[in-house]
Amino acid sequence: MKVNVRLFAGLHQMVGKREIVLDVREGATVRQLRERLGEEYPVTEAFLSTLVCAVGEEYVPGDYVLQEGDMVALIPPVSGG
Amino acid sequence: MMFEITAEPLDPGPLVAAVRRDESGAVALFYGVARNENLGRKVLWLEYDAYPEMAIKKMREVADEVRAKFTVTGVGILHRTGRLEIGETSLLVAVSSGHRKEAFDACHFAVDRIKQIVPVWKKEVFEGGEEWIEGHVPGVEDGSP
Repeated sequence: MKVNVRLFAGLHQMVGKREIVLDVREGATVRQLRERLGEEYPVTEAFLSTLVCAVGEEYVPGDYVLQEGDMVALIPPVSGG
Repeated sequence: MMFEITAEPLDPGPLVAAVRRDESGAVALFYGVARNENLGRKVLWLEYDAYPEMAIKKMREVADEVRAKFTVTGVGILHRTGRLEIGETSLLVAVSSGHRKEAFDACHFAVDRIKQIVPVWKKEVFEGGEEWIEGHVPGVEDGSP
């Protein structure tokens, strides 16, 4: 299934896109989505372990199971203020 | 209450007016400002990115936490995005309360929580390079990313 993924900050800069579509198998978790990102964009590999995932504007754990059409965002460590 | 992510310069006036009630005896106002050095590096300017919809949602959550923990009469948060020159304001947090101690304490708590859970990111551009600052890993229940 295809999942739309929003990218921010350093991840946005590395990939060069604000939003990408990643193809993952049915029932994939957000942890697997992160691995998929690393395969598709090897430049992100060193940063994958620091990324938290948000679905529907809420942080979710790594074992969260994705569904088609989920609005996913990959959130690097935050540094506002 | 007022919660905004904006690329425009931040104006404290409307924020203070939005959080003040006739019951308020104090308004604590926090400015986060762009500093000219970090880790011994001379910082030239900052650039902020945000996930605006979620950042607003998380700012409202911070305000809910503040209201649950302190006796306050109002909470408002503004965060700037885009390029900020040294000395410009990146964050404004205003908390009103009946008395000053609650206002100070609640404002301090709010700033700490903003830095932990609101999806905003800072890039430092310094002499000889640039770096997206990795601050806090926002927690989910089990704490694992």
